[in-house]
Amino acid sequence: MTSIDVQDLTKEYGTRRAVDHLTFRVLPGRVTGFLGPNGAGKSTTMRLVLGLDHPTSGSATVAGRDYATLPEPLREVGALLDAHAAHGSRTGRDHLRVLAASHRIPDRRVDKVLEETGLGPAGRRRVRTYSLGMRQRLGIAAALLGDPRVIMLDEPSNGLDPEGIVWIRTLLRRLADEGRTVLVSSHLMNETASFADHLVVLGRGRLLADTPMREFIDARVRPAVRIRTSDPAVLVSALAAHGHDAVEHPDGHWTVADARVDDIGRLASAAGVPILELAADEGTLEQAYLDLTATETEFAAQPQEA
Amino acid sequence: MPFAPVLSAEWLKIRTVLSLPATLLALFAVTTAFSAIAGVSSTSDPEFDPLFMALSGVGPGQIAAITFGAMAVSAEYHNGALRLSLAAVPRRGVWYAAKLTAIALPVLVTGLLTSLAALLVARAGLGPAAAGLTPAEQTRGVVGCGLYLTLMALFAAGLATLLRSGVATLSGLVPFILVVSFVIGDAAGTAVEFLPDRAGQVILQETSDGILGPWTGLAVTALWTAAALLAGAWSLRRRDA
Repeated sequence: MTSIDVQDLTKEYGTRRAVDHLTFRVLPGRVTGFLGPNGAGKSTTMRLVLGLDHPTSGSATVAGRDYATLPEPLREVGALLDAHAAHGSRTGRDHLRVLAASHRIPDRRVDKVLEETGLGPAGRRRVRTYSLGMRQRLGIAAALLGDPRVIMLDEPSNGLDPEGIVWIRTLLRRLADEGRTVLVSSHLMNETASFADHLVVLGRGRLLADTPMREFIDARVRPAVRIRTSDPAVLVSALAAHGHDAVEHPDGHWTVADARVDDIGRLASAAGVPILELAADEGTLEQAYLDLTATETEFAAQPQEA
Repeated sequence: MPFAPVLSAEWLKIRTVLSLPATLLALFAVTTAFSAIAGVSSTSDPEFDPLFMALSGVGPGQIAAITFGAMAVSAEYHNGALRLSLAAVPRRGVWYAAKLTAIALPVLVTGLLTSLAALLVARAGLGPAAAGLTPAEQTRGVVGCGLYLTLMALFAAGLATLLRSGVATLSGLVPFILVVSFVIGDAAGTAVEFLPDRAGQVILQETSDGILGPWTGLAVTALWTAAALLAGAWSLRRRDA
């Protein structure tokens, strides 16, 4: 199994606890979105998995081993932590050749990942001339270099142009479909919703959720029906007769909470309400996330025991 | 992890950042130039030491060697470059050894070539004043000079790993070598002889009149270097990247 296993992981910097008894597992074959506000401990967790920071307690393993004991880590795990890590005076290609040399990866693999990440000819230019989007692509190229089974990317869509965002979405899906383990952190909800199958959500270093994305949304956002009519009075009374409350929005549409589109459609039709628009109002990841963090904030506001 | 590929990666790192090979070129140019000047402006000082005069370019030239050692390390402490390096080579001991080897070997080669060139250029200027130098003394001077420059580059590399900064390392070391060592000079007595630069430079003299001989002096510098490297290793092992 090439999963990432985090077991009761804690990391303190001085008195600040960045990661707090965290336990979760990232499984292969799906894209796991790693969510949380800035400072929630996502990057720290990734550094701990890579053995870069020493945990205060607990453990993090990849494929059942400590990262530091992997004989050829780049062939097992590809990571993008910081797009600025590449030295500005080196060309993009040389940056990758340095990493490749440590694992005896041939130069043609370097050229291949440059092509794959759309850097091709730019590989011969110095990194300091790159835009943030190009640096991200170079960082992703470095992560793919060893053809690893585990891929861990910290905010990869930062600075990417719209085309780049579509590209990375496709790339992440493909990597997961190839059976790789993919962990991608982000603080952008809509972006994460577009590629993730599974979510791990952190808040103040603690685990808030570890569930499939669909379940996460459905459990937190009540389904609603969006409806527009030319005769609101009839609609409202018809709905009220069946125990539904309708709320009007400034642009003229109504939403019916806790309802399914099949029921509301039949009901409106039976009452002879003219329908201009009828749609299921699916919950978004953003709504679900905000609901979660709202309850978490209440919880966190309670006095904590030491 | 095997050492050879890690070393080749570290060597490639040095070759692909233009400023680092340029520093080695500066080591050669500055040392040879100052030795050439010393060769033509020789005095009739009774304590005149032709070997030390011929290799006196090492005084300013060593700044380049120190800069090379400090900068090769400090590039890792910029924008999380070290994290990338240690993600590729998580065995920190292996990585550190490869980094130091990739610093030491080019400095040694450049240092040997430099001191040979400096000696030849200066001897051409000194003429008969240098005629008394035996081949053994000259060989000792050239080899010792190459070793001394290598030890100083490694000393700086160790300090840069400990301080995690090239600027901090250089702003401490360069004034120390250029000023402090000179100013406290003879006033502070025999302790000064044991400073890393003073001790190591005994090997550049035809005759030494202090406590330390050529090789014991170099050994003292080697101890300083070993201490700096161990401190660097301790820091690298203990701290978060």
